[in-house]
Amino acid sequence: MALVTTSAVVLQTYRYSETSKVVRLATRELGVQSAIAKGALRPKSRFGAGLELLSEGSAQLYFREARELHTLGAFDLANLRRDLAADVGRFAGATVLAEIMLKMAPPAPLPAAYDAFTAALDALAGASPDAIDAAGVRGIWLLLGVLGFEPSLGTCVRDGTAIDPDGTDPVSFSVAEGGVACPSCAPAPPLARLPRQAYRDLLALNDAAAGLPRLDAPHAAAHRRLVARFVRHHFGEAGPLSALDFWERRAWVSPPPSTPVPSAAS
Amino acid sequence: MSAIDDLVTELAQLPGIGRKTAQRLTFYLLKQPAETAGRLAEAIRQVRERVTSCSACGTLTDVDPCAICTDPRRDAALLCVVEEASDVAAIERAGRFRGRYHVLGGRLSPLEGVGPEALHVDHLLARVANGDGVREVIIATNPSMEGEVTATYLQQTLKPTGVRVTRIARGLPVGGDLEYADGVTIAQALLARRDMSEAD
Ligand SMILES: [Zn+2]
Ligand SMILES: [Zn+2]
Repeated sequence: MALVTTSAVVLQTYRYSETSKVVRLATRELGVQSAIAKGALRPKSRFGAGLELLSEGSAQLYFREARELHTLGAFDLANLRRDLAADVGRFAGATVLAEIMLKMAPPAPLPAAYDAFTAALDALAGASPDAIDAAGVRGIWLLLGVLGFEPSLGTCVRDGTAIDPDGTDPVSFSVAEGGVACPSCAPAPPLARLPRQAYRDLLALNDAAAGLPRLDAPHAAAHRRLVARFVRHHFGEAGPLSALDFWERRAWVSPPPSTPVPSAAS
Repeated sequence: MSAIDDLVTELAQLPGIGRKTAQRLTFYLLKQPAETAGRLAEAIRQVRERVTSCSACGTLTDVDPCAICTDPRRDAALLCVVEEASDVAAIERAGRFRGRYHVLGGRLSPLEGVGPEALHVDHLLARVANGDGVREVIIATNPSMEGEVTATYLQQTLKPTGVRVTRIARGLPVGGDLEYADGVTIAQALLARRDMSEAD
């Protein structure tokens, strides 16, 4: 057993016993790990309020190789990320990132994934109101990239032909093959066809150094749809992706079904 | 499996009761007159049979609508929104709140697949819009991340109705459940509630 101190973000918590919680943590040094926080549900717990969804801090883990459940010794809270809760759209994007970490990040050191994850949470919290979607889409693409699923965007995914971003024709995108296809490889549907501007926006979204493209509502929806299809295709077998569904269809905006007659609450 | 093992196993599944306590309770019951165990069994059966959700507010009750909804001394203009029926019990224990309740039946949780349609939000909007005379909606969801997001969502959803929307104060420990807060803390959090606005 080794005591490891690492930066960590809480991805999920659930009650383990009357007084203890199990937390799923994205850690910088050990990847995604589960740990029991003994006494975390007691009123005067030493964990205080730190073990909340998306809160970040320094975790002390009693780490046992070859075990699935470790013990959390301490969690020194650094950032509660409460600003994400003040906007459902920011929060929804953040939960998609957490879901991708939970489903796809390995229980092994991958600091680049941790850094991409926390950078995306920061970008979501700091984005101007009209850039929340773009920040979320970019965060997802960049996280997919460091997890080994970077889409091939500059060159054809089949034969490596360079794609000219300044061209005018739509660009074909194959979700299954993970990138764009040149005209000779993709003469016709069934591949998705990206208008050239959408292709340029996709390039910018996948480039952390590029300016964040301005996406109006229909284009933002199209980019949410594309990245959601990509995630579902490559990770859908890992079980339902409910945060992705919630975020993609903006479930908090469409009005709830109107049933003016109070039905029996159950 | 013996009858003793059966009861121990059932009791040990209850929150806060380990296997040792379950054994102690079982042997205690065996030492008591038969009627004692009979009354306990009957009480458990009755609570399952008679208790339902109030069709007006969603809290747990023997009579529908519940005693809080039908009490003429309670202020119908004040509606306190909580996640679970157990939160109603916690606020009632504090004994200061004189309005009525609305139980959502949970909180928004995208990671667990809980969206607005899984909560009693449409029913809440109907209560506010239907001229029940609601003037203020006090959002008393838990101070957890998901409770806060649910409050944000409700504020945004209630905005078109023009009703005043307030949020209980942060006197409650962040991350703590309403259910575990003491009465004084709950009373203070209600008293120090603040208007919710876009800027919050
Ligand atoms: Zn090609
Ligand atoms: Zn009622």
